[in-house]
Amino acid sequence: MNAVEIRDVTKTFGKVTAVDGLSLDVPRGSVYGFIGPNGSGKTTTLRMIMNIYHPDQGSIRVFGDELRGACTDRIGYMPEERGLYKKMKVRDVLRFYGELKNGNGVKAEVDRWLGRLDLTDWANKPVDALSKGMAQKVQFIATVVSRPELVILDEPFTGLDPVNADVLREAVLELQGQGTTVIFSTHDMNVAEKMCDFIFMIFKGAKVLDGTLAAIQDQYGSDTIRLRTDGGAELLAGVAGVEKVSNFGRFKELRITPARDPQRVVADIMALTKVHSFELARPSLHDIFVRIAGPEAQEVERE
Amino acid sequence: MNKVLRIARREYLATVRTKGFILGLVLAPVVMGGSGIAMALLEGHVDTRDRVLAIVDRSGLAAEALVEAAKARNEREVYDEESGEKIQPGYVIEVVPPDELDPQAQRLELSNRVRRGQLHAFIEVDVGVLHPREDPVASRIGYYAENAAVDDIRRWVERPINNHLRWLRLGEKGVAASAAPDMFDWVSAGPMALVSVDPETGEVRQGRRTSELEALAVPMVLPLLMFLMIMMGAVPLLNAVVEEKSQRIAEVVLGSVRPSHFMAGKVMGGVAVSLTGAAFYIVGGVIALTHFGLSEHIPFRILPWFVAYMLMAIVMIGAINLAFGSLCNDAQEAQSLMLPVMLPLMVPMFVIVPVLREPDSLFATVLSLIPPFTPILMLLRMAVREGVPLWQQWAGLAGMLVAALIAVWAAGRVFRVAILMQGVPPKLGNLFRWAFRG
Repeated sequence: MNAVEIRDVTKTFGKVTAVDGLSLDVPRGSVYGFIGPNGSGKTTTLRMIMNIYHPDQGSIRVFGDELRGACTDRIGYMPEERGLYKKMKVRDVLRFYGELKNGNGVKAEVDRWLGRLDLTDWANKPVDALSKGMAQKVQFIATVVSRPELVILDEPFTGLDPVNADVLREAVLELQGQGTTVIFSTHDMNVAEKMCDFIFMIFKGAKVLDGTLAAIQDQYGSDTIRLRTDGGAELLAGVAGVEKVSNFGRFKELRITPARDPQRVVADIMALTKVHSFELARPSLHDIFVRIAGPEAQEVERE
Repeated sequence: MNKVLRIARREYLATVRTKGFILGLVLAPVVMGGSGIAMALLEGHVDTRDRVLAIVDRSGLAAEALVEAAKARNEREVYDEESGEKIQPGYVIEVVPPDELDPQAQRLELSNRVRRGQLHAFIEVDVGVLHPREDPVASRIGYYAENAAVDDIRRWVERPINNHLRWLRLGEKGVAASAAPDMFDWVSAGPMALVSVDPETGEVRQGRRTSELEALAVPMVLPLLMFLMIMMGAVPLLNAVVEEKSQRIAEVVLGSVRPSHFMAGKVMGGVAVSLTGAAFYIVGGVIALTHFGLSEHIPFRILPWFVAYMLMAIVMIGAINLAFGSLCNDAQEAQSLMLPVMLPLMVPMFVIVPVLREPDSLFATVLSLIPPFTPILMLLRMAVREGVPLWQQWAGLAGMLVAALIAVWAAGRVFRVAILMQGVPPKLGNLFRWAFRG
């Protein structure tokens, strides 16, 4: 059964179409990653799932219920920009948000999460006194403290240091282990690749990718060679069949035209320079993202 | 607990737990009553320096009388009989012979002496003052001073001159001053409160003599308290919602409650804040007045109306403030909307004195029936006199109820759209568009 079912949803603001005929199913218990460039419609979609915005057309069902006018207590929502009352004490603001969702045992749950995310010492301090990372963790607790069955996180890892990002990542996976469905948006393709069961990409309001990472990569085939060479990127760009060279410093990633045999390309490169290692790979999510939304794609579209 | 109540509770606690609220509760009446207290304090404080008054008497009839009157007054009123301390300024009259050739030059010279502080004022008495009906133009008395219109000495000057002129007129008809020495004695009409029946003993209670200060100050207490309660309960909602919008708190809250419930909770919080403040002042006031034996001043008949009007006012003005606040992206924008928000509160304050003086005038009646002004002005009229028709009191309440419902409905529509809209500057056009079209 699906936690969320979006059917042909369109949302416009004035003359701007933020979401255009979107359909999407989010299975229960899954971790679903929303990716897409800034302004592509991610937050609008999340807000519509939250019933904060109403779609102009189409329908959204959460746990089988039509959303319009329905209760959203089963959903926890963490917006992109943190929304905490600055003057309130951390524990009070968490209880307020938990109780606003009619959560059970909110008091105990607040204390458990404060301990889990190493914030117990800050429980009686005003939100004002928290660092940005701490405030982000508090906002996360506010989202999950009512034990929602669906958790929606808008850019949860942005601005966190690696230690706190790991703590939050583990917390998200713990929620999934308990059967919670998690939807989050992110600009970090590594996070999306590692954490998500399904990835959905929205671009200019329309769905451009949807499925498991493997399924998405399959769409693009094994058209990528990752290799370490003595020769630079310019040398490699001149080889026949190389469509694009991405230089990552320690290694380079080549995109090969579909008509060209990757074996021949490697052989041609070996003839030109010393190759230390090579690997035939499927494109990374980062690469796929750039192919869809990067400047080259935009140029092609304009042409 | 209902979500609306949870939001109301948070709003209430967030306000009443602050030091500002507690401090405001104590200081607000001091600040508001400050001018009254200052007036009362200054009333006893008099500048006792002598006042030099020059008189240019073209009639030749007034100067002497004025000198005599000043002398008599100086002996009688300037020094305290018991302590011998100077308690009033003495009036020193300087008789200046009229310059018949160039009266205008003389006026200028005397004016300059007033400017230099050598004189307090100068008085010019025209030649024909004894029989003003014969030539009204040549029978004026001019009082020249820096603030002549509000100068109390001007009024004092009138009486001895006029009394003397009256005696002269009687003398022309053969009536001697000794024949009727109390001819021009003056008896003032004392301001008395209306006679009423004592509810405990059933006796008819004698009306009391009231002072001007009391007549003005007592009826103002409840209207001023209403103003204070609206300032405490409804106006802060504007900044509260601006914080919730700019800090993106609204987005989190709206993930849990509907905009209408969010707004309703906040208005209820404001109502609770004002009820707390009103209870503090009313209970405190009743205890204090009873303690000092002034319980007759407690306006029990108006208190229920006060509470009813206050509830309506907080709901109506609170909802409007929330709508305005939801339009703003930051505190600066909110500041620019303060004037239109405060206008319904300021207008009654501007007209408080004319309404106080004539509570039954058409102006006062009509204004007190216009919903945003009703809470303060109807209350003021009711406090000044008991006879405000009951239908007007109920009509005021009904008008408030209707206005509050309309305000909540329209504000809810604006709030729903505006609260999540970032970066759009507040425009009154948007306010009306969203209110009517949603």
